[in-house]
Amino acid sequence: MLSRLKAKVGSVLLPGDEFCLDTTGADTISLAGPSKANKVVCGPGLRRSGDRLLVYKSGLLRHKEPNMFWMDAQHKRYVPAKGETVIGIVTSKSGDVFKVDIGGSEQASLSYLAFEGATKRNRPNVQVGDLLFAQLIVANKDMEAELVCVDSAGRANGMGVFGAGGLLFRVSLGLARRLLAPQSDLRAELEQLFPCEMVVGMNGRLWVKSTGVQRTLVLANLLESCENLTPVQRRQLFGKLAQGAL
Amino acid sequence: MIMSDAIFSRPTHTFDGMMEECSPSTVSIREFGCEQNLLSRSDGSASFIQGNTSVLAAVYGPAEVKVSKEIYDRATLEVIIQPKVGLPSVKERAQEQCVRETCEASLLLSLHPRSSLTLVLQELHNDGSLLSCFLNAGCMAMMDAGLPMSCLFCGVTCAIHTDGTIITDPTAAQEAESRALMTFAIDSKEHQVMMTSTKGSFSVQEMQQCIAVSQAASEKIFSFHRESLRRRYSKSV
Amino acid sequence: MAAGFKTADPLEYHRSFLKENCRPDGRELHEFRTTTVNIGSISTADGSALVKLGNTTVICGVKAELANPSVEATGKGFIVPNVDLPPLCSSQFRPGPPGEQAQAASQFMADIIESSEMLQMEDLCIERGKLCWSLYCDLICLDYDGNLLDACALTMLAALKNTRLPKVRVNGETGAPEVDLGKRRGLKIRRHPVAASFCIFDDSVLLVDPAAEEEQLATARLTVVTDEEGRLCGVHKPGGTPLSGERLQELIGRATVRQKEIHRLIDKVIKSIV
Repeated sequence: MLSRLKAKVGSVLLPGDEFCLDTTGADTISLAGPSKANKVVCGPGLRRSGDRLLVYKSGLLRHKEPNMFWMDAQHKRYVPAKGETVIGIVTSKSGDVFKVDIGGSEQASLSYLAFEGATKRNRPNVQVGDLLFAQLIVANKDMEAELVCVDSAGRANGMGVFGAGGLLFRVSLGLARRLLAPQSDLRAELEQLFPCEMVVGMNGRLWVKSTGVQRTLVLANLLESCENLTPVQRRQLFGKLAQGAL
Repeated sequence: MIMSDAIFSRPTHTFDGMMEECSPSTVSIREFGCEQNLLSRSDGSASFIQGNTSVLAAVYGPAEVKVSKEIYDRATLEVIIQPKVGLPSVKERAQEQCVRETCEASLLLSLHPRSSLTLVLQELHNDGSLLSCFLNAGCMAMMDAGLPMSCLFCGVTCAIHTDGTIITDPTAAQEAESRALMTFAIDSKEHQVMMTSTKGSFSVQEMQQCIAVSQAASEKIFSFHRESLRRRYSKSV
Repeated sequence: MAAGFKTADPLEYHRSFLKENCRPDGRELHEFRTTTVNIGSISTADGSALVKLGNTTVICGVKAELANPSVEATGKGFIVPNVDLPPLCSSQFRPGPPGEQAQAASQFMADIIESSEMLQMEDLCIERGKLCWSLYCDLICLDYDGNLLDACALTMLAALKNTRLPKVRVNGETGAPEVDLGKRRGLKIRRHPVAASFCIFDDSVLLVDPAAEEEQLATARLTVVTDEEGRLCGVHKPGGTPLSGERLQELIGRATVRQKEIHRLIDKVIKSIV
């Protein structure tokens, strides 16, 4: 029933493409037995309308077991999604919230209490212009996005203000996701090249810091150029650099 | 550093671009090509070339919207057409309206309420069929920006020559000597007419013929869309 | 109760009427609003007309000025239509330079004149290369209740039918024009293009002559201009729901019927004045 969809995994689909989901009891909620394995989960770029699956963004169809599908594409504009970690820039302080620019269509808000160890008395030291690594806890099209700098256990867990002496720049969202993938070739290759610190926001913002300004800049340029390179070309480039730099 | 992918479709029958006549069975359009993601600052961009006609398109958004233009349940779409020389005039306004309403029908604007989308179309060279080139460039740029769309669309211009023959995708010279000129926007789902804009007088049969011809021509453009995207993503696999 | 329903959910309000095949103002789906034409309404203009299409009211004054023909077309005169949507006619328009809708409507009027060849521009020439008429058709909407294009096209046609230009002679010696205001003659209107507008509701239901509210809720708008020979001089659909060729055919049929009705109406009005 999903074979047609699975056959298309990894290929290019365009908005307007349709798939028929056979609804013979399998992917509707059946009272008879647990058929959860056949439930289709639509990720970004796909939506369901009745028993049809519609594509609304162009890109490559991706699949994850058991039945998760989404469209993967190289976009530049960030659309906030719940649970994603992003790099934001504090733009203003008003009352007890900070306004943070995360690259979406409107600014996100961040409460001053949403930091590790923050209380009404003990305010975090956040200035306008600071960089923040934060997680979105409210992100939906009808409401203002909301950030926190603590995890569910109240720990900072790497989030909060950062960014002394590094360099912030923008890449495509696709590249940011590639860097964050669990087994990222790109990341592994970079690590071999230079020792560096890197912060990757899902909103396409990248912050890097290496030993010395020159190396930081080299790294930033490398990452920007990775956007359009095939893995083979990339390895060649990295190889050349390793010889020259060492 | 910008690297972009330029792909040109070469139809099997290549013409010198001047005289091409067609009946519904053998629809010919000029050589066309597209380059996506060629601007670094915009969220999506494309240039579209039909023969010698060429248009550059850029999309910005979903971005912050002016309070006066905010719509509570959908995104505000703004289309700006820039002519090659001079300031935009009434003619460009009328074209903007056509392009905007066509885009509005294909975009899923309700997925980005209270935000603004801006489509800027810059005419680079006009050698006939300009409105259809605006539509094609706009569609490619919106696709590049990854805006949610329910379907794609394409623009096709038909000219009816004084002797009654239908010419698809006419050049400026062919437009000048034609009796009537029609531009259609065709959707990719059911190949129906989303937009029409006409000049000159013509009979009902002639219009129906032109629609049929445009629908046939749209097939070529839609298969080009797919092919160009496939080439673009072939690198990132 | 009904008023509250209308404000809270206008779309559902209209749907409930359409389900019964009628419209909130009591019309059937394919019915035009009452059309009234008054000509010669402005005595100081060279030609004028006032048209009411239901509540939509448009007035047009034609002003004729003497001008020099352009270098490219020495034997042709000019005709310049301009549509104005002042804040007076609806709260949706703001004062200031004309908005997109007004500009698009002006362009559409110019397109109708050009496409239908209702007037031969050569008729406006007085002396080749030296003197010609320039007709300014100023269309002002007084009350906006939808279907602006139909009303404007009809007003312009009626005003041009009403236009009487004074006789002009170029003095052979001085080359100065001599205008004889006593002798006037009408324009030769060769074709009678009539616009008929439609809108599509919920991607399926077809409405004729939409009112302002229907226009706003519609998913597509479409205007068909036909002349007395059944030829099309403009099919303007700026976007919206895709339509099939068959559906268009149906609309064109309705537009041709409308052309006949309006043509008859104009003839009657013109006759009543003479």
